Amino acid sequence: MFELSTDVGNLKELREGDFSAYDAIYLGDFSCPEYPNNFSSHAELLEAGLQHVHANGQKAYLRLYAVPGNDDLDWVGDVIDTALQLPFDALEVHNLGVLRMLRERGCTAPIHLGVFGNLYTHETAKVLKDHGVTRVYPNPELSLDEVRYIAEHADIEVLVPVHGKIPLVISETCFILEHSEEGAEGGCGEGSCSYQCTQEHWLKRGRDDGSRADWSLKDTGRMTLSGKDLCMVEHGERLAGMGLKHFYVHNKGEAPGYAAAVGHIYRDALARAFAGEAAGDFAPALDTLAGLAREGLCNGYYFEGAGQRYIGRDR
Amino acid sequence: MIARLLAPAGSLEMAQAAVDQGADIIYVGPLGFSRRPYESEMSDDAIREAATYARSRGAELRVVLNTFPTPYDFGRFVDKALRYAADGASGFIVTDVGLMCALRREIPDTVLHVSIGSGISNLADAAFYRDAGADVIILPYRWDVAEIESVRRASDIGLETFLFETVQTGKLCPGKCIMSSYLRFRDWKEVEGSRDFHGSANRGAKECYRVCQANWEFGAVGADPVEIKLRRDARLMLAQLPAFVAAGVSCFKLSGRERPVGMIRDLVRFYRRAIDEVAAGATDLGHHAAELAELRGRWVREKAKRVDTLMDRAASYVA
Repeated sequence: MFELSTDVGNLKELREGDFSAYDAIYLGDFSCPEYPNNFSSHAELLEAGLQHVHANGQKAYLRLYAVPGNDDLDWVGDVIDTALQLPFDALEVHNLGVLRMLRERGCTAPIHLGVFGNLYTHETAKVLKDHGVTRVYPNPELSLDEVRYIAEHADIEVLVPVHGKIPLVISETCFILEHSEEGAEGGCGEGSCSYQCTQEHWLKRGRDDGSRADWSLKDTGRMTLSGKDLCMVEHGERLAGMGLKHFYVHNKGEAPGYAAAVGHIYRDALARAFAGEAAGDFAPALDTLAGLAREGLCNGYYFEGAGQRYIGRDR
Repeated sequence: MIARLLAPAGSLEMAQAAVDQGADIIYVGPLGFSRRPYESEMSDDAIREAATYARSRGAELRVVLNTFPTPYDFGRFVDKALRYAADGASGFIVTDVGLMCALRREIPDTVLHVSIGSGISNLADAAFYRDAGADVIILPYRWDVAEIESVRRASDIGLETFLFETVQTGKLCPGKCIMSSYLRFRDWKEVEGSRDFHGSANRGAKECYRVCQANWEFGAVGADPVEIKLRRDARLMLAQLPAFVAAGVSCFKLSGRERPVGMIRDLVRFYRRAIDEVAAGATDLGHHAAELAELRGRWVREKAKRVDTLMDRAASYVA
């Protein structure tokens, strides 16, 4: 009927978390190869992760590093070589060079284009289909109508994020480390990471006197995320009515338990919407979701506004 | 191979100044299609006039179509490109790979540059874009000589670099950033033309608010934050130029369509001399240090006027 997926960075999180609300798991943190035991950069952990997911009756997709430099291509190639020997249900790429590497290696598994793949149109989706891409994650700037247009006119699966922070920026170096004592001593990129990203970091701009807009962004080191959590729980009926079928909860950077709490709410809401049942009262779900969102909720760009706006019950 | 100088033309006056000072190629952005405020973009008539001016003096004109199309107006980009090609544009600077493939198909003999907004980060990317029909890639801001040599060995694609010193730290994310549109949208202005979607910096309607160059407070929850910009300001380069030419860079791009015409005139004159000296065999350009320092000072002063201004203005736009 529909697929609900989320992301998990490593084996420990996979084993300790509750991901039972999801049909599929994107394994790996595509933003940071240094993230501890990251599936995206540890070929030796792929089989265990894959088996765990498949044993739960879920699909397993492998995320490949999003912004590899020339020095990264060898190890990214090693990860790909290992992955292609395993029955992953799909591999996710963000980088067109990595897409080319997959094709050069004879990849026959489905390929998903990730959020930093800059997919804006159906015409571009058609070009990427010729390179083996079967699913695209349209740029978050697109409206729901545009997302649907791409799905219909390129005849391709589209991944529709329904909850969680919106990836806004990705960089090849770690902003947290660069502004730490270690980074000042040249530690960045030399395997000396002490994982300060386990603490929440935020960028803020407001001033008490109101002379600056009160804007917040979350920073995970190599990625900057929206301050607010995208929330579409009130709009399941509309999503189902648009023929969209592949939904996603962004989990990277969130505390343990986030994916479980959010996932069960959306499993229920989407199941009702797809079954044509009355949606019921969203207030309890919204209260829970708002409680998990330090800076509040938004709809991203889905309703043709800038990313921070929320349409629905006043949040 | 003789390296060429690619210079900005944010107006017809700037186009003429750049050509007069020796630019080999100038680049222009059509209103609403090139990621700049409308003041630094040009009407179709002005683009045609600039193309005529450039060609009459042995220079070329590229058109910047570096915004991402919407699903609804993809064909409009192709139509505009066909018109510009007929009006004398010898090539295009493009971000979207789908559009690049379409332009290669529709205008087989044109020159296609991959924009910095495509976010190329490795030599496999370069090979992908070569396969897709690109002639030239712009090198990432972080790449130094070794990186350039590695891609030169891997592909015959043309190599272009900005005339900025390479940098390794900070959030340097062209093609991987939608911070501006997360914060605010600015509605289209009439002069930018009528479009049927809400825009963003990446889609041409609105200027990028330079979020990365504004001041932010940064820190872990509970810790004292530091006041910080997300990236270091770009710094005009010179000393690296001979090594870049030796490594295979064939085109040097001067940024600055939004800068004053006088500044671009002086910068084109300066870099024309420097590139000519390198072509004649110079490996040390240290004798230009004083002039470079003066130009850098002007560049930074002009930039400083914009820090925080765009962000503060954006606060008044629609959510």
